[in-house]
Amino acid sequence: MAGLFFNMLKEEWRIHSTMFGSLNFALFPVMICAIAFMGTFLLPLIQTTMPVGDLVILIHAQYLMLGFMVGAFGLLGHEVMNRRFGQASLLAFSARILPLNPRHIFTIFVLKDTVYYFFLWIFPVGAGFLVGSLFTGIPVFYPLNILLTLSLSFLTGMSVVFFLSSLYGRSGKALFVFLIFAGLVFLGWFTFTGTNPATLFPPLILFYQFSWDILLESCMVVLVPCCIALLLFSPDIQPGTKNYPNRMKPLIHHLNRLPNPPLAAKDMIDLWRSGSIVGQTIFSFLVPLIIIWFFLSLLDEYVSPIHLLLTFAMITGIIASTMYTWLCMFDSFSVYALLPLHVRDVITSKITSFTLLQVIPIFFIAMITFLSGQGEFLLPVLVLTLSVSYYVLAVSIWLTGLSPSVLVYNVRVMVQYFLFIGFALSIFGSLTSMNPWFGLVGVMLLVPAYWLVRLGMRKWDREEVVGY
Amino acid sequence: MESIIETKSLTKKYGDLTAVNAVTLNVRKGSLFGLLGPNGSGKTTMIKMLTGQILPSSGNAHVLGLDVAIDPVGVRTLVGIIPEQESPPSFLTVMEYLEFVGDIRKIPDLEQKVDWWFDFLEYGDKRNVLCKDLSRGTRQKLMLTQAFIHNPELALIDEPLINFDPIMQDKVKAFFVSYTKQGNTLFISTHLLETAEEICSEVAILHVGNLLYTGTMESVKAGNRHLSDLFLSLVRT
Repeated sequence: MAGLFFNMLKEEWRIHSTMFGSLNFALFPVMICAIAFMGTFLLPLIQTTMPVGDLVILIHAQYLMLGFMVGAFGLLGHEVMNRRFGQASLLAFSARILPLNPRHIFTIFVLKDTVYYFFLWIFPVGAGFLVGSLFTGIPVFYPLNILLTLSLSFLTGMSVVFFLSSLYGRSGKALFVFLIFAGLVFLGWFTFTGTNPATLFPPLILFYQFSWDILLESCMVVLVPCCIALLLFSPDIQPGTKNYPNRMKPLIHHLNRLPNPPLAAKDMIDLWRSGSIVGQTIFSFLVPLIIIWFFLSLLDEYVSPIHLLLTFAMITGIIASTMYTWLCMFDSFSVYALLPLHVRDVITSKITSFTLLQVIPIFFIAMITFLSGQGEFLLPVLVLTLSVSYYVLAVSIWLTGLSPSVLVYNVRVMVQYFLFIGFALSIFGSLTSMNPWFGLVGVMLLVPAYWLVRLGMRKWDREEVVGY
Repeated sequence: MESIIETKSLTKKYGDLTAVNAVTLNVRKGSLFGLLGPNGSGKTTMIKMLTGQILPSSGNAHVLGLDVAIDPVGVRTLVGIIPEQESPPSFLTVMEYLEFVGDIRKIPDLEQKVDWWFDFLEYGDKRNVLCKDLSRGTRQKLMLTQAFIHNPELALIDEPLINFDPIMQDKVKAFFVSYTKQGNTLFISTHLLETAEEICSEVAILHVGNLLYTGTMESVKAGNRHLSDLFLSLVRT
């Protein structure tokens, strides 16, 4: 077991290091640590404008969301992992050729990913905060506590989505029944007690009031869904040959006014037949955003409802931009390299497909706007969501080309990603805090977005086709 | 005779590793050219450079008169390619993939051409099956179809027969020979020496990135010598 685990760790390392070098990958957690370290010195300043309690909620919500976004292991039963790196044969699929139990391999695979995420994202924050506390006089208990509670927040998110995606892998209907049931429980709780269910989040309670009982409870919230998910996991057994109706021709016909219709049609077919359009929409979009909404609602004493909604619109825009990753995970450019296509043609088609997918965030944010009783601000909310989504998409294209899920762990890429997104969001966050209608100014983001896409296309056209 | 492929000191380096070292080569129109070499000799890298999938580190290559480093898409418009690892997109059916290729290459009368290939390679019953569910042999048939369906005057194929049964191998070999007799050119890379000896009109031998031999099959066979004798004598020294 240990041998397979360490080999999987090595394999994951090499997937990234062959793309952009070991040093750039190794520096990624160092960068997170440095940001946390510097953030410690800013805490006294932040406290003057934002209550510490709200900051704590936001950080925990972010880590919970990160867990949600990476935890859809249950979709692996449908070979998502195999496709993610094209023709690469990963150890996770060794069960086919080695005398190993698929569930055993899968458990180690999940464990490996958890360890990676811990050392890439969670431990560096705690370490940076701990080192910073030595200089700022913050008691050592706090950084250790936050390391524990952030780990638990992340693991809770991961384990819940792992469970939900595994349930989906077994039966889509069972998932919907479960989600409706859970939604009713949350709604009932909210209606009868008048308290936000997010206040029940064990890691948050643990942060404010450490006790062994709550720690145990937090661990159970992580372990129980995770164990059920592992039990639900079923390896994807090669099905008998199944015939499918031809969707290419009608789709090309429907999309013929858009650039590169066959490429966009292929994206749509990939998303639909792989089950990703439903799976990713639920696990990487709806679930994280709904939970984030509950957490943001806790800030309503500090932030007015409309500013909360506009902040949420920007977060929705950022999450919506990750739909680009959904589109790039099925193939690499090598699939297209046999054909008379430039990298820029494929990127253009991904933007077309991305645009088709934007109907999901539009519908979602419009619903949230009306449900929160602020329908009159629908226009700035929509403009801000879409502008942020396209802007972050443009940054991703420029920095990562057609490999967003791998190159994002290049420290240089990540630093630029943070800077470009942070800069734009600070400006628009400040503008909308002055007047909600300034959200309309978000449309200006499309200018740098256009420029970044052009720059990205030129850059990736010059790059060689990489092996994955 | 007119050169279809012309390389001058073509080199590819990956860090300290030289995958292809200063290869100068001419492939004449109408020839069935076999690039031979053991595993890791640089054959695949050579094909990738000739089709503009990767850029040379130095030297140059012209394919059908186009510089592959300057106009790789122009080259890929004119040629047919089958890579070493056949990789049709997973979630498209066979027919959808061929329509996808047909639309990108703007092929007229696609359905008639597809039907001809289905009949010839005997896999029409798989037209609505997802590419990911195909056997390796059927995938190879699909890749062969996509490479030739636009009737290119040059096709570059990495290990063309390796996934076929002997009956299909015979059929495909006969197709290759008749294809070149029509004035088209075929550039195949293989380590199956018997196949190369049987169908190739010209061969080149590559070993650890270096071009050790190039010549016609007649010159290889001079003095009752077999291709395998020449190959082994060059590679083992």
